[in-house]
This record gives sequence, structure tokens and C-alpha cells, in this order.
Amino acid sequence: MKSTDVVASPEQHGGDGSLAVETRGLAKRFGANVAINGVDLLIPRGCAFGYLGPNGAGKTTLIRVLLGLTRADAGTMSLLGHPVPKHRDVALARVGAIVDEPRFHGHLTGRQNLQVLAAAREPAARSRIDASLERVGMLQRADDRVSKYSMGMRQRLGVAACLIGDPELLILDEPMNGLDPAGMHDMRDMIRSLVAEGRTVVLSSHLLDEVQRTCDAVAIVDRGNIIRQGPIPELLAGTSLTLQVDCSEPDRARSLISSTNLAATTIDVEGDGLAITLPAGTSRDVFAEVARVLVTGGIAVYRLEPVQASLESWFLQVTSRLGDTA
Amino acid sequence: MTAASDGGAPTASPSALGPTRDRRGSPIPTFSMIATRFMELRRRRGLMITLVLVTIGFPTVFLAIRLLLHAVAPKTYGPAGGYDIYTAMSAGVLYTFGFIVAATLGCTAGSVDLAEGMFRHLVITGRSRLALYLARIPAGLAIIGSLVAIGFAIVCAVCVYAAPSKLSYNGVTVPAGLSQSGLQTWAADNAATVVCNFSYDGSIAGNVGCDNRPGQPPSVVTQGPTGQLVPASASQAKAAATQIAQQDYQQYKRQFRYPSNSLMIKTGLWLELEATVGFIVGLGLGSLLGQRTTAVILMIVLEVILTPIAVRSRIPHFINAQRGIVGVATGHLEPGQLPLAFGGGGRDYRLTESTTTAICVILAWLIGWTILGSWRMMTRDA
Ligand SMILES: Nc1ncnc2c1ncn2[C@@H]1O[C@H](COP(=O)(O)OP(=O)(O)OP(=O)(O)O)[C@@H](O)[C@H]1O
Ligand SMILES: [Mg+2]
Repeated sequence: MKSTDVVASPEQHGGDGSLAVETRGLAKRFGANVAINGVDLLIPRGCAFGYLGPNGAGKTTLIRVLLGLTRADAGTMSLLGHPVPKHRDVALARVGAIVDEPRFHGHLTGRQNLQVLAAAREPAARSRIDASLERVGMLQRADDRVSKYSMGMRQRLGVAACLIGDPELLILDEPMNGLDPAGMHDMRDMIRSLVAEGRTVVLSSHLLDEVQRTCDAVAIVDRGNIIRQGPIPELLAGTSLTLQVDCSEPDRARSLISSTNLAATTIDVEGDGLAITLPAGTSRDVFAEVARVLVTGGIAVYRLEPVQASLESWFLQVTSRLGDTA
Repeated sequence: MTAASDGGAPTASPSALGPTRDRRGSPIPTFSMIATRFMELRRRRGLMITLVLVTIGFPTVFLAIRLLLHAVAPKTYGPAGGYDIYTAMSAGVLYTFGFIVAATLGCTAGSVDLAEGMFRHLVITGRSRLALYLARIPAGLAIIGSLVAIGFAIVCAVCVYAAPSKLSYNGVTVPAGLSQSGLQTWAADNAATVVCNFSYDGSIAGNVGCDNRPGQPPSVVTQGPTGQLVPASASQAKAAATQIAQQDYQQYKRQFRYPSNSLMIKTGLWLELEATVGFIVGLGLGSLLGQRTTAVILMIVLEVILTPIAVRSRIPHFINAQRGIVGVATGHLEPGQLPLAFGGGGRDYRLTESTTTAICVILAWLIGWTILGSWRMMTRDA
């Protein structure tokens, strides 16, 4: 994603069509169990957007509410600029989606299942069946019964079912589920190619690494709350930096650094070295200063490496912090 | 998956479409929705085999055996056709089992989308849920309607082309097409046969009856002065036979060697009505419950337990509730006063009701279950 404005601010976009998905104060509870808790989500068109959260965070529920598979308790939403559920038929005409693990009529072939779904869409959908099957690599097995498909093959058929509608917006719930490594690689490439065609892809996942590799922007959810949303580089820019130092006499090295006025958050002794956590945006001069202090103090420095927190560790950090306070 | 946009995949940059003009919010299903639903149901192999076996296989095998036995031993085995066969096959087998298989198909059509996870995909297309529901009706009726039609056509063909040359009434060969006085004259001439074979409700003048002890030919008897049985006089026997024939005329009049064209058409339409009711009620119930097995069991209980009880009994204060059962209403519309499904025989114990009431009850069931089933489908979480 090249645009810097991956996640628009509410002021920038009214209810026009420049957002693929827009929700305000969306809430859904199952009895006492709050699955979505006042979610404000703004997804611009033409990007790959990751909806990231641990099991039970409410990812599938949000997708079901967006698609009108179940009712929201509160809040408003729109898809491709059309308010739903009021204009869901118009909105969904240009949306393709997989919710949970896709299942089909087992006694029909993959192609026949797509024919059933194409019949419910516009007439042109039927003519896109072969191309969609080819695109997900299922053309060879299209005339086998779905009951004989593997899970990964059903997942691919699910994507083909999305493509027959020539969607502007694809909503994929855990699309990597059941895919082998090659399949995941293909899926990632396909998502990127769909985005390159100008479509918007929203995918939910708990595979952080996948989201980091596939998506331009991300929203992190836990227990129905969006904790952060924004372009991935921006989110990471806000995370702290760890300076890994391999050195002799770690304990003495630690006290040496503590006695200086370095802006280190924490200094931990780790095995044969130190892990110095520095605030986000710390300049390279600080690394040189650390090296200078240690060397002058008579400590042998074998390696010194700044490590940017990955999305994964950041994600764990954010969600577990929330878990503690609950 | 190929990332490259080869093979003419839907790669064109999505057009900035405003409201699309494909009317997918309309409650009217399109022809291709009906056609693909028909295809989906027809490819359920186990279900289709059951449907074909019951509606076509069973009558065919039964009639084929009758034809074969008659061809091999015409003296022992009567012709394959005849009144009893026609009524048993249509008002018995095709009526009852046609309903049950139609209901099974309906329950299947009403519940499998949900059970097999297809409901979600269909809802996500944005298509009106009501249209999705309504598409199942013509698709299912096309299947069950044609099966019942084929099964019934086979029954009609055998009954017309293998009709007996004589009319058999209560197991006795009686000339066909007699008037009331003709039947009474014929009965007087065949007094012993009539007294000993025809059914009669009530007591015969002069205490005349049949002595049908094994080991001797049946004879007409009456009570002597001391109470013992004595042979009846010829005039007593004739009088008794005439009396019986008078009562039996209505019953005799319905009998035929082969069904008339108009009776066959009416019976065919009546069987299609019963199958339609079975399918539509099954569809509604299947959709309401969201699963097939319970729905099928409830439909069978309705057809083989509740309906026969309601048809035959008169429960005080509940007569109108009994009339509200759809099987009582379709039973009322039965053409040519064929004997009731599930035996009955002899006298007709049917509950009385007007034809208008019967038609209203049937329409209420068809419309009511369609509303219930589609309401559940429209409000259900997918
Ligand atoms: N139909 C339902 N009835 C009751 N509770 C539900 C229902 N669906 C979801 N929930 C609850 O809502 C919460 C969110 O569930 P959801 O399926 O949206 O999670 P998820 O983020 O998709 O998780 P996963 O990663 O495991 O797929 C869970 O606590 C779940 O138990
Ligand atoms: Mg989920």
C-alpha cells in the first residue's frame, strides 16, 4: 500500500463511497457475552486490510453482522458506500465473502455449487465460473464432488465463489485456514493481485505474520474492542526498540549503563548480554553512545543489534496487557 | 492459485457501479434459481432412488406380477386391472406414499441449505431470502409432480388395458352397468350367491340368512318355528336377495371394469394435489425446524396416525379441529367416491364437511406453511 492515508479519519470521509467498509458504534452481544463492543471501523477502498485478533475476539461475528447474516444490536454500517442492512442487496451485489470454513453441497461438484450460487447473482456471474475456478487453481478438480474435496480445496472453492460476482470488496474470514505452505503463498499472491486490480480485500486472521506480509493496514481486536487500527508501518513506528548487546560481564555492564543518563526504559540481563529497551524513535547516536560507555568501562562488546518489535510481539504485548486489566 | 491474471479471470478493474439493475432484492425467484435448485435436488441420489421406488417402482412391480400371474394361470389369478386394483393403487398407495415422499422431498429442500452450509453463501449474494425460499417450490413440485404422474399413468394403463371382462362385486361376477331394477332382477335370479356374498347392513325380512358351513355348498336358510335353521323357500330367498341388492346398488354403481377417462383425470389431479400439499407443508416444516429428520417424522405421524384417526372418528367438541386437518380435507375431495386410503372398506365413515370448507382448509395449509417457512428463513441467523 502506497497511500499514506490507509485508514481514513472520520472527518475526511462522510458517508460517500470512498470507504469500502464503514462502521460506527457497531455492537453485538450473545446473551451476556459481548462479541462486538462499539466498533468504529474505517476501511478505504483498494487496500488489503487485516482484521486481527485472538480466538473468540469477535472477528467472525463482525463479518456476519456486516453481511447481514445476523443482526447488530446497535450502530450503523455501510458497505461500498451503501448503508446496510437497508440497501444490502445493492451493496452485496459487489461483495464476495467467505465466513468461517466454507461448506458446500457435498453431492454436487465444485462447478455445480458455483452454478447454484451464480443463479442467485446477476446473469453474468455464470459466465465467470470457469475463470474463477482457474484463478484459484481448481479447474482440474471442478467436476469432482465437493464431498471428496480436502479442506484446502473447499477454501479455494470458497474464494472462487467470491470471484464469480466480480466483487469490488472481498471479505475473507481466515482465508489461510487449511492451506498448505504453497497454498498460503498462492493465496497471498492472489490477494495482492486482487488489490492490484483495484479491489478491496478484508481478511480476518490470527496469523499475525500472514497479515503483516499480506496487508497494508490492520485493525487489532480483542474481546470485541478495536485496540488499534492503522497502516502497519505507522503502528510499528509507535512500538519500542530493543537493543541486543552481547558482551562480557553483563551485570557490570548493566550498572554502567544505568549510571549514565541514557533514556532506556528497561535494561535486562539476558544470558551473555543485555536487552536494552529504548523508546520509539530513538536515534542511532544512542546506540553509539551505549557502545562507547561499555568499551570505556572495559567491557568487551561482541555484538550490538537494534531489533524492531514485530507485529506479532507487539500484538501479544497489546492484547495480553488488556487481558491483565480485565 | 495463480496470482497472475491469466485465463480471462474476472480481472477487469471493478467498475464503479451504482445501484445494480439486477433486481436481486425482488421476492420473485428467477428461472435459473429454480433450475439450479431442481438440479441440486435431482442429484441427491439416495433420495431420488427412494422417490422413484415408491411412486413408480412399487406400482410397476406389483402390476407386473399381476400381469404375469394372469398370463401364466388365468383361471387362478384374475386380470391385473379392475376396480379394486385401481382404487388400491391410487387411493391407497399413491395417495398415502405419494404424500410421504413429497413431504420427505419438501423437508429436504427446506433444511439442507442450512445443514450443508450453503445458506450462508446464498444469503451473501444479496438475493432476497424470500426468493430463495420460493425458488424451491416449483423445483420440488416439478420432481414430485412428474414422478406421481408417471406412477399413476402406469396404474391407469394397466387398469385400462388389462381390465377384467366382467365386473367383480364382493367377489361375485355381476353384469356391469345394470340399473337399480336390473340389479334387483339379477339378484332375484341368483338369490343364494347374493345372500351369501353381498354385504348388508341391518336385518333382512323373515330372518333369512346364509348357511355357509364348510364342506357343503352355501344355501339360503331361515329360522324354523323351533328356532333351528331350515332352508328358506324360493320366494323368501328372492325377496331377501332383492332387498340386499336395493341397499347395495349405490355401492355397485361406483364399480367399473376400467376407470373412465374423466375419473382418471380427476384422480390424477387429486393425487397431484395431495403430493403438492405434502411437499409444501414439508418444505415449511423443514425450514421452520432447520433440520430434516424430525420434520420427516412429524409429517409421517401426521399422515399415517393423525389423519386416519381424524377421518374415521367423531370426537365431540373437536369436529371442527378434525376438519382442520389437511388430510381430512383432501380426503373429502376424493373423486368418484373411491374407498378411503388405508382400507376402511364397505361403509364410508368419513366426516362430513362442505367442499368449500375443504378447499379453504387446504389453501390455509398451503399458504400458512409457506408463510411460516419463509418467515423463519428470512429471520434466521445464517
Ligand atoms: N451464535 C453464537 N451464539 C452465542 N455466542 C456466539 C455465537 N457466535 C459467536 N459467539 C461468541 O462471540 C464471541 C466471538 O466469536 P467469533 O466467532 O466472532 O470469534 P472469532 O474472532 O471469529 O474467533 P476465531 O479466531 O476462533 O474464529 C465468542 O465469545 C463466541 O463464543
Ligand atoms: Mg472466526
